[in-house]
Amino acid sequence: MKRNVMVILTLILAMSTMLAACGGKNNNNEASSPAASPSASPSAPASESASPSEETVEPFTVSLRHIQIGEPQKFRKAILDEVVKRSEAEVPGVKFELDGIEDAVNRFTKLPAEMAAGNPPKIFDLFGGNADALKYAKAGRLLDLTPILDELGIKDKFLNVFGQFTLDGKIYGLPIGGSVEGVFYNTEIFQANDLNAPTTWDDLVKAADALKAKGITPFAMGSQAAWVPNMLVGTLVGRFANGFPNGIVTGEVKWNSPEVVGALSLYQDWVKNGYFTKGELGKSYDDMLNDFAAGKAGMMFDGSWRSSAFKEGAVAASMTGKVGFVALPALPNAAGDQTSLNANFSNGYGFSSDLDENELKAVKSFIKNLYNDEMQLRGLLEDGVLPSMKLSDESLAKVTDPVVKQVLDVMKAAGSTFVHFDAIAQKPVYSETELQLQKLIAGKATAQEFGDAVQKVQEVENAK
Amino acid sequence: MKNALRNPASYLMFIIPTIALYGLFFLYPMFSSVVYAFTNWNGLEETKFIGMANFETAFGDSNFRSAIINNMYFIVFSVGLQVPIIVLLALLISNVKRFKGFYKTTVFIPSILSTSVIGILWGFIYDPDIGPISAALKFFGIEPIYWLADSKWAMIALLLTNAWQWVGFFIVLILAAILAIPKDIDEAAAIDGANGTQRAWYLTIPLIKPIISVVVMLSIAGAMRVVDIVLVMTNGGPAGTTEVMASYMVNKAIKYGDYGYGMALSIIIFAFALVFTAIYQLTLGKTERIEY
Amino acid sequence: MPASIKKTMPHIVLMAYVVIILFPFVFVVFSSLKENNVEISQAPFAFPKALYFQNYVDAWVQASIDVYFWNSAYLGISSAVLGVLLAAGTSFALTRMKFKFTSKLIYQVILLGMLIPGNVLFIAQYILMMDLHILGKHWALFWPYTAGALPFSVLLISAFMKAIPAELEEAAIIDGLSAPGLFARIVLPLTVPALVTVFIINFLGNWNEYLLASFFISKDALRTLPTGMVGFRDAYQTNYALICTGIVFSVTPVLVLYAFLQEQIIEGITAGSVKG
Repeated sequence: MKRNVMVILTLILAMSTMLAACGGKNNNNEASSPAASPSASPSAPASESASPSEETVEPFTVSLRHIQIGEPQKFRKAILDEVVKRSEAEVPGVKFELDGIEDAVNRFTKLPAEMAAGNPPKIFDLFGGNADALKYAKAGRLLDLTPILDELGIKDKFLNVFGQFTLDGKIYGLPIGGSVEGVFYNTEIFQANDLNAPTTWDDLVKAADALKAKGITPFAMGSQAAWVPNMLVGTLVGRFANGFPNGIVTGEVKWNSPEVVGALSLYQDWVKNGYFTKGELGKSYDDMLNDFAAGKAGMMFDGSWRSSAFKEGAVAASMTGKVGFVALPALPNAAGDQTSLNANFSNGYGFSSDLDENELKAVKSFIKNLYNDEMQLRGLLEDGVLPSMKLSDESLAKVTDPVVKQVLDVMKAAGSTFVHFDAIAQKPVYSETELQLQKLIAGKATAQEFGDAVQKVQEVENAK
Repeated sequence: MKNALRNPASYLMFIIPTIALYGLFFLYPMFSSVVYAFTNWNGLEETKFIGMANFETAFGDSNFRSAIINNMYFIVFSVGLQVPIIVLLALLISNVKRFKGFYKTTVFIPSILSTSVIGILWGFIYDPDIGPISAALKFFGIEPIYWLADSKWAMIALLLTNAWQWVGFFIVLILAAILAIPKDIDEAAAIDGANGTQRAWYLTIPLIKPIISVVVMLSIAGAMRVVDIVLVMTNGGPAGTTEVMASYMVNKAIKYGDYGYGMALSIIIFAFALVFTAIYQLTLGKTERIEY
Repeated sequence: MPASIKKTMPHIVLMAYVVIILFPFVFVVFSSLKENNVEISQAPFAFPKALYFQNYVDAWVQASIDVYFWNSAYLGISSAVLGVLLAAGTSFALTRMKFKFTSKLIYQVILLGMLIPGNVLFIAQYILMMDLHILGKHWALFWPYTAGALPFSVLLISAFMKAIPAELEEAAIIDGLSAPGLFARIVLPLTVPALVTVFIINFLGNWNEYLLASFFISKDALRTLPTGMVGFRDAYQTNYALICTGIVFSVTPVLVLYAFLQEQIIEGITAGSVKG
């Protein structure tokens, strides 16, 4: 008798272990099985028998991956929090689960893994282009937003910003705003050293040499993550080579062509001249801002989104009124378009294709509350993010921030714009540029070796 | 009378859960995914069978080759440098009378911390601007060294941190073996006129050879397996100088989405680990158990 | 004179080593109480000018270190407990029950697992978690942690169980105990020291695990301490004082635990190394 009880007990224990394993599996199947169906007809949520009366909605959660972590991003985070609050008030039962991680970790590690596994968050920060949004859209992982934009009637309110998010005429991501990349400089340091604003190539180089001689780093740089120095590289290559970056996938522009190698050589010369922060390979993107804000460096090449760091109450508030912003000046004797400006509407939000009815409601509400005049204007005024939607002149006139004003001026003066090459290059190509650039900075690769190595990967990818 | 111990039902009941878990989470993934190593599977696009192409790529991949060399650094450093230090410190602790317990307790502390916390902690120590090492160097008029950013130093910095974490753990293992040696052997040698160093060299070390051999094995295995500390401290940088096989494999698979290639790299790493342990066991590690 | 040098020399060497062990902690604790980066960089070894406890409040509020801590604790403990129990049962069957040939075979297969470097299985396990639909849940860590510890646990516990004298169990069987009864009533209590050792080793392994935890779990609320701390560092990478505070928060509980259990932990590891 006793023996049997023991056996049964142990068996139960063993069984429950196995059941727990299967249980996990089953639960999840249930959760994800209604996935595929509703996305096709977003306008028919309440029709099926599944919908009980509105009042008794079961509480549900919607995962939201964002990259607004840390001090420099706090204005963006405040806007996001406000949107989430409004949507939670609007949609019964919903609770947004915010998951903030570092930008590069999300873009290059977490999200790709989740996409491959087929379980991305419901709402997530997304970059446009071949290596990100378009790749995921092709694999059917992204929600087609075209019907939602139509339903909300906001499609025409956007500027022409969907280029990096459109596949076969369908829109798969909504850029939150735009940015241009250029040179921030410390006006106080420039004045103290009798330097002209770096609006011409000569003045820029002269300033760099003068700062260097004074023991001030010419350009703050944080190359621990190679996308940071890649911003300057992208614009420099654009100055040298016509058709960059779009030509790299068509074979029209080659990474090891004399033009591109010329731009890379110039970059390496700058490294060798000591134009960048010492130990840059160990410095993060935030370190770069800190060095600039602390006056350790006179300039930095960065995106216009950084302007929000220099206002009252922000991380680099000490710099308020002391920051100038110009486009990278025209290079004498270079083949590319010298007035073109790197401008992107590349970062925004994407949505998982496997939403159920409730989640879809929450997503619609989220889109409605985030993409509207009010939030776009807040983004511009509080955060220096160029709007991705049409704002009235009256709204635009409210801009008082001196840096944002300069950014708008720089945009007006630009002859043409081009996107950052990470939106064009395939993922393996872009990753190779990151590795090669770090090698170039470390003095372990020449400009020619950089070009050859990347071109090799480029050709493999182009042939696919 | 021994029927109870011949009851197949109870036998299976004890065996099956373990075998099931072990099979599902160890054997099955290993065998089921080996096939991916021969494909270009990336989780998003259609999968094609590409034969040995991944393996050919791997051996032609200079980045992977330098990752292999970095693993060798870990082996050389942990076996060649750490093991003698471990043995020395263990001998010292076993011979002191005062503070024995204190030393034993303290040296083990780094081993209970998570590797990522250690990585962050040492990130500070190495920081060129605010780190104490750099402050100490400045005191002597030496320019700060960019430990983790300089390709000359990053590997050494990693090796030191790794040593800091694990030396204490191995000291405790060896100490246990030393303290297990019967006292009278040592005393007899002392009466015969052998001094401390002689006794350590001719008596203690030969007696603890089996456990030293275990420590060497564990060090080799650890060096082949190392990945956490690299991911946390340098993520393979600067410019790939600290990439080890496992971190390269993880980055290839996840960052590039190239799971097929990553799987091929996994198989190569496994082969390496197998060959190294086999070589060691067949040559240097061949020791019989010594009975006291 | 030389005798006293001989006596102090080892202490000098060992104290130097202890300083190397402890000095990072001192630096971090000091830094966590300093107001800003400037104070840290100007005098990294100095005692803080004024004890700035605000960092502790900030870190506690801004980081979910308590959440990470409990996630790690309950995952680490539960999977270590299940692993030890399963391994104990299997070891019992393998060493004490009369199925010699099968047992030998199974034992060898399990030992094979010791040869596989854990991270090799990373991608394969990732795929498996995907297939089981548990990716992103704690189950995705619980099962690999439990299963991953089995080979070592079986090896160690078997070594202990082999040493139990056969007379004990014979007497018990004459008293009418079944195999499970024998296991639960006689063998298990006798093996407790080995079980504790195995438990602690497995727990430390789970507690420290980073690779799987960082890729198998996405949600912040589910993160374990190792990945949570890295996320915290990424978010506050330029606020050194705050990160030091984070380290203090995450390390203190382990140190306290260690202070209480150090005897047991070290004895356990010691016993394991001599027997195994």
